Amino acid sequence: MSEDDTDSGRRRFLLGSTSVVGVAGVVGAVVPFVGSWNPSAKARAAGAAVRVDISRIEEGAILGPIPAWRGRPIFVVRRTAESLAALPTIDGDLQDPASAQPEQPDYATNAHRSREPEILVLVGLCPHLFCSPTPRLSIRAEPFEENWKGGFYCPCHGSKFDMAGRVYNGSPSSRNMEVPSYFYETDSILVIGEDGEAA
Amino acid sequence: MSDSKKQGFVVSSLVSLRDWTNERLPIVNAWEKHMSKYYAPKNFNFWYFFGVLSLVVLVIQLVSGVFLTMHYTNSAEAAFASVEYIMRDVEFGWLIRYIHSTGASAFFVVVYLHMFRGLMYGSYKKPRELIWVFGMAIYLVLMMEGFMGYVLPWGQMSYWGANVIVSLVGAIPIIGEDLLIWVRGDFLISNATLNRFFALHVVALPIILLALVVLHLLALHEVGSNNPDGIEIKKNKDANGVPLDGIPFHPFYTVHDLVGITVFLFVFCFILFFAPEMGGYFLEPPNFQEANPLVTPAHVPPVWYFTPFYSMLRAVTVPLLGLDAKFWGMLVMFGAIAILFVVPWLDRSPVRSMRYKGWYSRIALLIFTASFLILGYLGTLGTSPSRIALAQICTVLYFLFFFLMPWYTKKEQTFPEPLRVTGRWISNKQVVLTLVLLAALVLLPLRAVGAEVTVELDHVEMDLRDQASQQRGLATYMNYCHSCHSLKYARYERTATDLGIPENLMMENLSFGEAGFGDLMENTMRPEHGNAWFGVVPPDLTLISRVRGPEWLYTYLRSFYEDDARVWGVNNTIFPNVGMPNVLYKLQGDVICSNNASAPEDCELTHINGTGQLSPEAFDAMIYDLVNFLYYVGEPINLRRQEIGVYVLGFLAILLILVTLLNREYWRRIH
Repeated sequence: MSEDDTDSGRRRFLLGSTSVVGVAGVVGAVVPFVGSWNPSAKARAAGAAVRVDISRIEEGAILGPIPAWRGRPIFVVRRTAESLAALPTIDGDLQDPASAQPEQPDYATNAHRSREPEILVLVGLCPHLFCSPTPRLSIRAEPFEENWKGGFYCPCHGSKFDMAGRVYNGSPSSRNMEVPSYFYETDSILVIGEDGEAA
Repeated sequence: MSDSKKQGFVVSSLVSLRDWTNERLPIVNAWEKHMSKYYAPKNFNFWYFFGVLSLVVLVIQLVSGVFLTMHYTNSAEAAFASVEYIMRDVEFGWLIRYIHSTGASAFFVVVYLHMFRGLMYGSYKKPRELIWVFGMAIYLVLMMEGFMGYVLPWGQMSYWGANVIVSLVGAIPIIGEDLLIWVRGDFLISNATLNRFFALHVVALPIILLALVVLHLLALHEVGSNNPDGIEIKKNKDANGVPLDGIPFHPFYTVHDLVGITVFLFVFCFILFFAPEMGGYFLEPPNFQEANPLVTPAHVPPVWYFTPFYSMLRAVTVPLLGLDAKFWGMLVMFGAIAILFVVPWLDRSPVRSMRYKGWYSRIALLIFTASFLILGYLGTLGTSPSRIALAQICTVLYFLFFFLMPWYTKKEQTFPEPLRVTGRWISNKQVVLTLVLLAALVLLPLRAVGAEVTVELDHVEMDLRDQASQQRGLATYMNYCHSCHSLKYARYERTATDLGIPENLMMENLSFGEAGFGDLMENTMRPEHGNAWFGVVPPDLTLISRVRGPEWLYTYLRSFYEDDARVWGVNNTIFPNVGMPNVLYKLQGDVICSNNASAPEDCELTHINGTGQLSPEAFDAMIYDLVNFLYYVGEPINLRRQEIGVYVLGFLAILLILVTLLNREYWRRIH
């Protein structure tokens, strides 16, 4: 069969349209397979917001046992008036004192990085290489810092954070600790992982 | 083409990439050998679609299988739940699972038709013996693949099917018992068995299958395709050595096959989206119940593609030469498959195709086909003496087809073969006559052995769009059922969303204990308590509507009657000696039956001690709502599945129009 035997215009149109429709079909068939990699209902249920009761945290203490949200430790600390008062005094020693980087929701972009000044909520991971920093909440001399105003110290690589999770100068981490989404369901129940309706 | 010199940069880059590659790997050569210069006979009919369709299904199974493996949990404790997890919790998991389960049956449909094509047109005869042998090896591996895959969901049929088939190993004299324990890796079908079947199903057998497919195709492309006339197209070549009756596989058969593939996908998707259980033949109802080594389902038929051989196994009922019937049954069953391998050497006919073979061969093939179909149908039924007798006759006929083949193919008067291939197709009269004859040969003997006895159920139509009914059903379920039963594969959140119930309403009024919105609807009764109180653990009800069917549930819940001989003082007309108390008697009233409740007329509804708060109509409506809810929860995706199905079929219809036109465009000048 030679080339001029065939109606090449018609043939090309049919080849083109069949190819387009066929490719659309393949793309459509790929959708469910790609979709199956999304978190399942089980994973989403496991990653749902967690409720914690903050009424039992004493002043200057961290909520224990450490709750987890999506497999990450959550630090919930009730700061003392003394700790809160110390926060502005160390601004000069910090990399990002005003929380300019987006490491927190809008409602926590303030001097104390929280909804209510007293209660601090942090993802308990160092933004450097994701070790969990050790809470060193008291204002006292520490082996790693003579003039410690309270905060968190990462045992892996020595990053230091203040009582608002802000990172000190000279730390391997260049970002503040993350503040997760949270809201007060009641005065004593905190929901971590959702912004709540007020957001 | 005049504009070839103006080819763009992209085209010229692709050409140089092709040339670069071709100098290092003979891709052009391979393309020509297998596609553009592979000359296939031009008289292929629709029977020649089933080879390429087997390849299509193979790809479908590989892709869907790989994705199922990502979500499946390979252990006896978790396998069943993980399949329901795939069906409910994984995005599009239901679709991938139905693709794989439908694909398994589709694989056997196309392979059986492909094999029948080979028998009909003599595609196994010299020089194509090896193609046939590789093909039979593929069939054998496919059966192992199908069998082991069926075990993985770890339902009741998985378990008991595996139990029955694996037990056959025990029939081997002397070493059987030890071999059986070795195959199972335990003293029963267990986690160890499941694990090895999983490894074989997803790793070892697919690799072997792929290797065999490659061999099958290489052997085919070495000797060339047979055709409906069964004559050699290579005998008539033109000056360039191209067979006169051959046409290049590409583009002619690629566009031709696209039509077949699209039609196949249409049928495949229709089943997938509208009847994934295929009336219980593709997904058997008892397999929606988790494996229980202590309770055998009433009836253990294998999946349909094994039933002919299963019938043969059951047909052997006489011990011989000091060996028991089970051993001979196994031998017959495996012999029925083994004998297929030697068909190329049994056929002594001078011609290949049934078109030119004599009447002996044609009648033999017809009887063989009928016997195979009868055996297949019998294998899905329970046994009775007449059915066993019919199965025995058909088993003998099955083997006679092969044993007598050397004789009848040589003895009969054949018809003269044409010199060149014909475009002819048997007349409509012949098609109809053959099908009628085949249907008569299959159906008349089956009629003679009687139909299955079925329980009379009250007819009722479920309505998945009636959310109000399902909400009431959920409330009834929570109030009357959930303290003993559970819905442990369903989640509160999904159920609330699907039924249009707000989160706070669901969690405050329709949940138990400390459950979170995203949690599974488990209950708090411990299994050992269930055993102590009811003699059995009250079954989980998530899938009960898929196991029993809504009509059964509707009838069952309204069929309790007073029976002082039972622990709870009640019995049930369609589930005799059930362990469940009638928790709804205060609403329904008391049903008193005489004559052992053998007929509905024997029962009477009465009201003792203020029972019967609901009128019979209100009670039936309440049960309807409850069953409607259970029907929903058995397959929450049901409505959505059908919605998507409509779009998929619509798309395939458009594609079918295009590929048909394209095929016609290419084939206009052939014939």
